[in-house]
Order: sequence, then structure tokens, then C-alpha cells
Amino acid sequence: MANFLTNKKKQRDASEEFARKYPHPHISMLQRPDYSRRGFFKLAAAGVTGSYLMPRLSAATGQVVSNGSKTLNTAKNVIFVHLTGAMSHVDTLDLKVTNGVTPSTMNPTTVNGIDWPMGLMPKLGARLSDIGLVRSMSSWALVHSLAQSWVQIARNPVAALGDIAPNVGSVVALEKEKERRASQIFPGFIALNAGNAEGQGYFKATYAPFQVTPRVAASGVANTTNALGQTVFGSMYTRLQQYDSAMRGQAPYGSSLQDMDAMYQQARGLMYSPTVDSAFTVSQADSLRYGNGTTATGFGNACVLAKQILSSDQGTRFIQINIGSWDHHQNIYAANNLPAMSAQLDNGLGALIDDLRSLGRLQDTLIVVQGEFGRTPVFTAAAGRDHYLIQSAMFIGGGVKGGKAIGATNPVGTQAGGSTVTDFGWAGSGTTGPRMVRPEDIESTLYSALGIDWTTVRYDDPFGRGFEYIPFAKVGTYGPINELFT
Amino acid sequence: MKRFTVACSAGLVVLAAGLAIQAQEPEVTPTDPNEASADDSGLPVADPICTFFGPDHNKWVEALSDAGAASHLTEDVVSKLAPAAKVMSSANFATAVLPSAPGGSRTDTIQNPALPTIDKYIFEKLAQQNVAPAPMTTDYEFVRRVTLDLTGRIPTPDQVLTFVNDPTSDKRARLVSQLLNTPQWVDKWTVWLADQYKNSSTNDLGANRFALGVAAFNGYLRASLQSGKPYNVMAKEMIAGTGENSYFFDQGYMNLLVGGVMGGGPIQDVFDQQTAVISEKFLGLAHVNCLLCHNGRGHLDALSLWAYYKTRNDAYGMSSFMSHTATMRIPTADAVNGNPYYWAIQNNLAAGAVVQGVRNGTNYTIDYALNTQTGNRPARGATNSTVRVRPAYIMNGAQPAAGSDYRAFLADQITSDFQFARATVNYVWEYFFGIGIVSPANQFDPARLDPDNPPADCPLPTTPCTLQASHPRLLNQLAQDFINSGYNLKELMRQITTSKAYQLSSRYEGTWNPANERLFARKLVRRLWSEEVHDAVMQSSGIPVTYTNAAWNPSTVSWAMQLPEPLAAAGAATNFLNAFLRGNRDSEPRRSDLAIGQALALMNDPFVMGRITSTAATSILVQALKLSDPEAVTMLYLNVLSRYPTTDELNAAVANLKAAANATARTQEGRNLLWSLYNKVDFVFNY
Repeated sequence: MANFLTNKKKQRDASEEFARKYPHPHISMLQRPDYSRRGFFKLAAAGVTGSYLMPRLSAATGQVVSNGSKTLNTAKNVIFVHLTGAMSHVDTLDLKVTNGVTPSTMNPTTVNGIDWPMGLMPKLGARLSDIGLVRSMSSWALVHSLAQSWVQIARNPVAALGDIAPNVGSVVALEKEKERRASQIFPGFIALNAGNAEGQGYFKATYAPFQVTPRVAASGVANTTNALGQTVFGSMYTRLQQYDSAMRGQAPYGSSLQDMDAMYQQARGLMYSPTVDSAFTVSQADSLRYGNGTTATGFGNACVLAKQILSSDQGTRFIQINIGSWDHHQNIYAANNLPAMSAQLDNGLGALIDDLRSLGRLQDTLIVVQGEFGRTPVFTAAAGRDHYLIQSAMFIGGGVKGGKAIGATNPVGTQAGGSTVTDFGWAGSGTTGPRMVRPEDIESTLYSALGIDWTTVRYDDPFGRGFEYIPFAKVGTYGPINELFT
Repeated sequence: MKRFTVACSAGLVVLAAGLAIQAQEPEVTPTDPNEASADDSGLPVADPICTFFGPDHNKWVEALSDAGAASHLTEDVVSKLAPAAKVMSSANFATAVLPSAPGGSRTDTIQNPALPTIDKYIFEKLAQQNVAPAPMTTDYEFVRRVTLDLTGRIPTPDQVLTFVNDPTSDKRARLVSQLLNTPQWVDKWTVWLADQYKNSSTNDLGANRFALGVAAFNGYLRASLQSGKPYNVMAKEMIAGTGENSYFFDQGYMNLLVGGVMGGGPIQDVFDQQTAVISEKFLGLAHVNCLLCHNGRGHLDALSLWAYYKTRNDAYGMSSFMSHTATMRIPTADAVNGNPYYWAIQNNLAAGAVVQGVRNGTNYTIDYALNTQTGNRPARGATNSTVRVRPAYIMNGAQPAAGSDYRAFLADQITSDFQFARATVNYVWEYFFGIGIVSPANQFDPARLDPDNPPADCPLPTTPCTLQASHPRLLNQLAQDFINSGYNLKELMRQITTSKAYQLSSRYEGTWNPANERLFARKLVRRLWSEEVHDAVMQSSGIPVTYTNAAWNPSTVSWAMQLPEPLAAAGAATNFLNAFLRGNRDSEPRRSDLAIGQALALMNDPFVMGRITSTAATSILVQALKLSDPEAVTMLYLNVLSRYPTTDELNAAVANLKAAANATARTQEGRNLLWSLYNKVDFVFNY
């Protein structure tokens, strides 16, 4: 910290960058006339506020420790598709056909050695050469909310840092803030149909998931225009700056109030913006094409927005889309259960893959698809499948070499097919040797593909104990699945 | 009017440090920074409010003590600003503006010396750790904070001015007493309790209370709060109650257990879920839920020393208390609401027994059976197993007599367990302070609470071997005080809000170390609840709204805090309410995170904009604009932010209003100001 304060050049650079990024009338923290040495210490010492400076100044402050792990660095963006409720892996990504159970309409087909339910997901089946599957994977928990949080924050939600741990998307947004250009106005992390997405944890609200529910009938994002019109709004906003600059600048009541100011700057940038309106408007045609052909789906609309947001190149680097529920305890094969969910996923994702490819963005956009856990290979008396630790995940684009499956579970023939992992299919991390893939490994992979050192430890957390991007990764407990990319 | 020189710079740090030193001797009343500021010696005094108002506070002081801004504020205007307030002279008005004026507009000594518990422990520990506490709240800060915390409303100008002008020394305690006796207190704490007990019409497990069940549960909670029912009695009713109809208000307590009903598995899953809810809500033991699937060892080692030694079988014993409980669906031909069923809860119901014309198919006279292979939890045993688990209270192994009322026994065990009081006071503490003494408040480790017997036998390096509570003796004393008060929630809240610790400012001078959050060295701000933001806009704008639904009781409500559940549609304000993350009392808990959508909502949502542009006679803006410019500005600040504008704020707004070329332009400047106040950062936080 002392190093930072004596480094005047760094200070200047930071304030210039800040001013570039926020060109409208706003005095940055470093330029404020009432900025005092003590005041700055107060801000910098507060973990949450301190993080605001980290992306730019981390090298100088030494507060963010990277172990210099070699990252894959094959992707610029991530689309994280969260299959909430937990998809049945043995009916989909790790298909195990059981006589008398598996409906023939699922049309099990072997494509280049990969068993796939062509009847359930024909479009993804036709694009398996783009898809890398992970089948030697296990969740840590079987409670939905717990496991869902787990995959979003890459750690046990009830562990010490669980309450303050940011969503992986918030970490990506913070890490990629340094690459943001002044003209880019979208939040770094956008959550589509994911109202209950994990938040930014102890990070500044700048890195919170920006929640959008795609709208087809109306254009753009809700509340991005004002009833009194753009001109009057402009004058009101100018007045707000005038009346509230002291409180926003000094934030005597703690850093939360200053976070709110950053929130306003971002919100203002989204208003009266043709860029926002075009990126966040779903056309009727796209809506149907990403939907079920004749009807739109929520997931399809979210995929349309994901494509448009990334192709607009406005600074969004991480998009989370939730699709659920896959919690098929009963009558899993009934038309409105697994088949309906799979069709939504297949249509939306299939169109997304095609469009990203034609836009030239598939190679730098990593799509990760997973639920919070798997479902029992044993078909229950209720004609459903219960919660099960072993599960599968899909990786697409962003440098992934498709057309293969990492790991394998025990084969079909008994109802226990898919119940145990018979081949890990990857080297493991550190010195662990081959082992089960865990949510922490999935997140490590995602970080590594984005060029983010997954072993990073930030010493700006409120407890001062160091926030590890992936717990224990620095000692090799978890790490990326490099086999997906070779 | 005497002129004051207020020094805004270094004084506070010294004073704060002095307080810490003094606090080492708790029998001595700590030096109070606010008393110093009321010093009439003419020497420069430190004024904590300087940080708030900034260095320009001096200008504000001078302007009002000279013939400046104050000259606009005639008695006539004052009476308009606060019509119900007692008549104030101009001098009184100035006193109200000047928190540091002689005459004592501040009261910050401990108001109730009979209850020194909190301050003794909090300030002792701060002194031990050599951490300076924040200064005390000003009267303006306190009246807004405590009114929001206790009632969910911002104080009206009348309430603010009456309070700050009250010269008596016990006014903070009296304000707390008044607030605790308002209907708004009942509104707010009904919501708090309903959040706690997850009173939603549906949940992810498949339980369905329907809107009438939600209303009945709310009605029960509301009536309990209104009548001052002891909390242990409420707990007993919810744990042990039986009833015919979950829609009946006097049987609304049944809806706690109804929330544990779940599909997709055997009846044991329901018993387990009900047990999980009871253990978490009344004992702070969320880990019982984990233990219902697996032993603690190998799973909870890093979280709980207590749970490390507990097994799935111990948790079965807890769940077995539910095994004689029939939570039955009773079909109803509800013409109005079209609900297919309500719930009845009966004990020891044999298979084949008939309740309200419905034949019960399950035998509820046998103990918890380990005979399941499917469902939402791991297999319990072979499907033909005859193993039964006897009920046994997980904290002491106590067992009820065979065939007796198991849940009544469990309710007695829980409510006479010290942990019940400890968990309850900690939940309430967590609400008021933002962090529990044990945090998170639902993850108590009973093996790490006794300061006289700290944990010593930690079997694994990963097993925690430190005391869990930040202030273990305070927690125990609060629990004992709660028991002694007759489990009185109001008394607990009174004890907390009249403590000096609660009344510390959220302003902090000097270097703030976030680790000191758990020392409670400053008050943490909280973003207002969704309902609080809504109600603050509504109250201060003068434009009321009502929401109506035939299934609610009452069917029409006037405040968001009276909505039966967060999912309840509130007309055009629904999106506004959702932006502030009110959650759904199930998979989405209420959250205080900030989000861009909140800024967009406050800037543009029709709920706000409709109130900015309203021309209704009741509109605060319409009324304010009839006054002179300074009066109008002051009136808007007092209504929306519950404080006066600073000199700079007043001058800026007055200048803008004066510059308006015509009435239309002046109206727009008024709108600019009101809109800015709703978007000021101090509007959306309780600080």
C-alpha cells in the first residue's frame, strides 16, 4: 500500500483511466478536492472499496497474489448455462439405455463413439463435433440451493467465506475490467433468467450480476427511459450530481453508499442508448428460431440476448443463463418434463452455437452447461430419478476441442449404468493424479480459458484471510481440465 | 442566537480514542463526544456531524444564526412544515437545525442503566482490542435509524422535529417505547417473522399453503405480536399445535409444519423437513438438516465441532418427534378461491381414521421407520426393515413416553433449552446489527459457545477449536435477559435499541478495518428492504396507493409492509418492489445487495415518476411549491430524507428554483429536486 501511495505515476494513470471511463460530470475519488490522505486510507483499507482499485493497481499494491499459473487463455467470454434442478445425466449427456425404461422416442444413437439421445436433443446431436463432454464429474452436495450456490461461487456456501464469496461471473467481470474500453457501457456480468443468481459477494456492486429478463413484446431493458423524456431526464441527472456529490464522494457511512454511486454511473450509461436497445431487443423471428419453432421460450430468448450482447462488444464478459427446472422426481419421461426441457435447451443452444460461429465469436466464447448435480441411474417407483452426486457437463467453443467425452461411467446393461465412474479421463490437478472432476475444477477451467489465474488469492476480503478464486488451488487441489482443449 | 465555531477536523479521533480508554472501566460513564459538542465554553469543539455535512457545516451554522436563510423560516412556515408539531418559535426551529446547540437536542447517555449488558461487553472488548468506536448518532441519525429498524417507515417531519426538539434526557428510550407500540411495529415484525418461517403460498418442495394459508399464518403472527405473546409460547404453538383447518386464523400456527410437506419421497422426508425447519428456526441449528442425510463426521468437520460428533441416527431421533404427526390434505370446495385443499394436523392418527370426511391412509402411531430406498434423502434402510427410531431430543437425549404427544414433549424440550433463547436473541441481533454474535445466525455450534469451557478436544485439524461467538458472554447474558423478560420480543428490541452500541454512528473516523465489523465498532448501514423503499416513497410523496386481493386478510392494504408475502403482486409497483430483491421466502431469500436495476427503478420506474409528476392536491411537491423557495426545499428534505438540507444543498436548490423563468420551469426545478432526493444515496440506506 505504501508502495502504491508513493507511486505518483500510478495514481495519475488510474485517475486518467477513471476519467476516460466515466466521461460525464463526475469527479473521481482520486481527483476530488476534498480527497485527503487519511480519507484515501479509509477507502483503500475497506475491503469492498479497495477492490475497486485492484484491477488497475494490483501489480503495484501486491494485494492480489497470482502464482503465475500458465493459463489456457483461449476464450474472451463465457456463457454459463445453469441447468437448475439438476438434469438427468443418464438420459442426456451420459446416456445409458435401459431396456423397459428408456423410451424409444429418445432415439439413442452413437455418434462417433458418443451415445446421444437424438430424439431428445437432435440439434446438439448434430453439433457434437463442437461439444466436449465431461462424464467423470461429481457434485459435493445433494441439496438444490446449496449445490446451485456451490457451482456459482466455486466453494462450499456454508464454509467460512461462503457468505461473502462472489459469483464466478463477478470475479470475471472484475478481472476483465482492466480490458474495458471507455466506450463500453454494459456491465461485465449479465444474468439472464437468473433472478436468484449468486451476487457479487464482497466485491463492489459494479461487479454484481445485471439481471435481465428478456422481453419480446417490449424493446430493450426495463426502466432505461424516463417518463419526462430524455432532455428533462438529463437535467434531473445533472441536478442529482449537484445535490449529492458530497455524500457520494465521501461516503461517510461506509463504502456501500459509494458502491451505489458506481451503480448509478452504470445505470445511466444504459439509458437512452441505441446500443442497449438493439442488443436487448429480441426479434420475433429470432425468438421463434431459438425457441421451439412455433413458440418462443424463455431460454431461447435468453440465448438470443447472449448472442447480441456478446456481438455488441460492450464490455460484458460473463453471461449466466438459468434454465429449469430439471428436478424430475416423478414421471421424468412425460412430455412436459424431460422432453420439454431438453427441447428448450436443444433449440436455444443449437441456434446459439450456429449464430456465434457465423459471427466469428464461437472460437472466443466458452459455453459451459451444467446442473448442480446428477440424477439417480436407478429408475424410481415414481417413474423418476432422484438426486445423485455423479453428473455430466458440456463445454462448447472458446478453444474446446469437441467431439469427445472426458471420463466414463460404468456401462449400460444394468440399472446401475452410470452410477460409478470407471475412467476419470483426465490427469487431475497438482499431484492429485486422475480423480473425479469437481465444481471447483469446472470453474478453474473456465478461469484458465479466460486467461485468469485460477490460483489467485486476493488479500482484500473482509476477513483478511485471503479470498482464493478456487479454494486450495494454489496447492494443486483443484485445477483446469486441460484435456478438453487438446 | 449565539454563534458557534465548529471544528471539523481532528478532534474526533482523539475523543473516540478517549472513549475506548474510558470503556475499560465500564462503571464510569464513558466520555461522550456529543456532550463535548454541547459545551458552551466557546472553545472549538468536535462535532461528529461535520463528517456528514462536510466542512461547509460552518456556513450552514452561520447562515442560520445570522439573518440569512433562517429569515425565510417564519413561524408560519414552520407550522406548515410540521402541522401536527407543537408550536415552535423561530428560535426553537434554529435549535432543531443545530444539533450541537445548547439546550440539549442530543441525548446519548445510556438510557436505561438497568440494562447495561450490551454496552458492558461491547465496549469492554473494543477497549481490549484497542479499537475506537464510532461516534454516537446524532438525533437526526437516530430517529431515522430506529424508526426504520423498528417500524419499517421513515419518520415524518413531525416525528423528526418533535424528537430533536425534545430537551429531556430520556427521549431516546421514550421514542423506542412509542415505536414499539405502533401498529407499524406489528406490520414490520410480522414480515420479519414470516420471512423467518418462510410463509410463502408455494415452495420448491411442493408444499402449498395457498393464499388463505399465508393469510392465516400472517394473521396468527400479527395477533401474537399485537397481544405480546411470549415467544416461547409462539414456538410451542408452532411446534406442537394441532388443528382442523390451516386457513383459520386462530390455527394459523399450523402453517409452519405445512411448509415441510414435500413430494417425491416417503413420509419420512416430510418428518425430516419439518424437523429441519424447527431445528434451524428455534435452535439456530441448520446442520440438523445435513445430519438427516449423513453423519457429521466426514462432512461437517470444518463447520461444527458439535455436528462432528452427531450422527444421522441422532437426527433420526429428532425427526421421530414428527413421526406421529399427520399433516393431512382436506379437500375443499372453495368457491371463491378455487383452492383444492387446506391442511389439518393431527397426532397419533391410525391408518383408516377419518378426519373431516377424509380417510387417512398412513399409520401415524409408529415411530420413525428406517425402511426407505428412494426419495429426497439417502436410503434409510431396506424397504422391509422393521427398525424404528425412538424420539430423542438431540441436545440431551430426553425421550417422551411411548404413545404420548411427542411434539408437545419436543416443544417443551426446545423452549426450555437455553439454546432456544440464545438462537432467538442472535437472530434478532443479526437483524439490528447486520451480523450475528454467532454468524451466520442459523449455524450455531453448541460445542463452541461456553466461554468457561472452551473447546479443547478437536479431533481433526479441520475441526474448529475456537469459541464461535464474537461475544460469548454477551450472547449468554442476552439470552438470560430474554428468558427473564418472559421471552418478550419487545423487551429484547428495547434492550438492543436503547444500548449505546446500537446508537453508535455508521460514520467512522480514522482507518476502518472491516475485521472490526464483528466488534460492532460502528453501525453497519443496510439497504432498505424493498417494502421500506416503497413505503418511504409513498409516505413522503403524499400519493398513497392501495393493493387489493380477495384472498388476503385484510383484502386491501395501503403499505407494502402489509402485503402478505413478497410474491404478492402490487399492481404497477410489482416490478419496483422486485428490483429491490424482496425474494420469495423460499429459494430466494430477501437480499440487501445493490444492483443496477435498483438505480434504474429509482430513476425511472413509473412508481416513482408518477409521484414526481403528480398534480394531486396531496402531492408533497404541489404543496411545497406554494411556499417560498427555501421553505419548499426544506420541506422536501424533511419529508424525504428526514433531515434538513445542508447549507450547500439548500443554497444550490434555492438558486435553481430562483433561476426558473416561469411557473412551469419552477415546477420542473421542484421535480428535479424531489427526484434527486429519491435518488440520493442516503435515501435508500438506513445509516
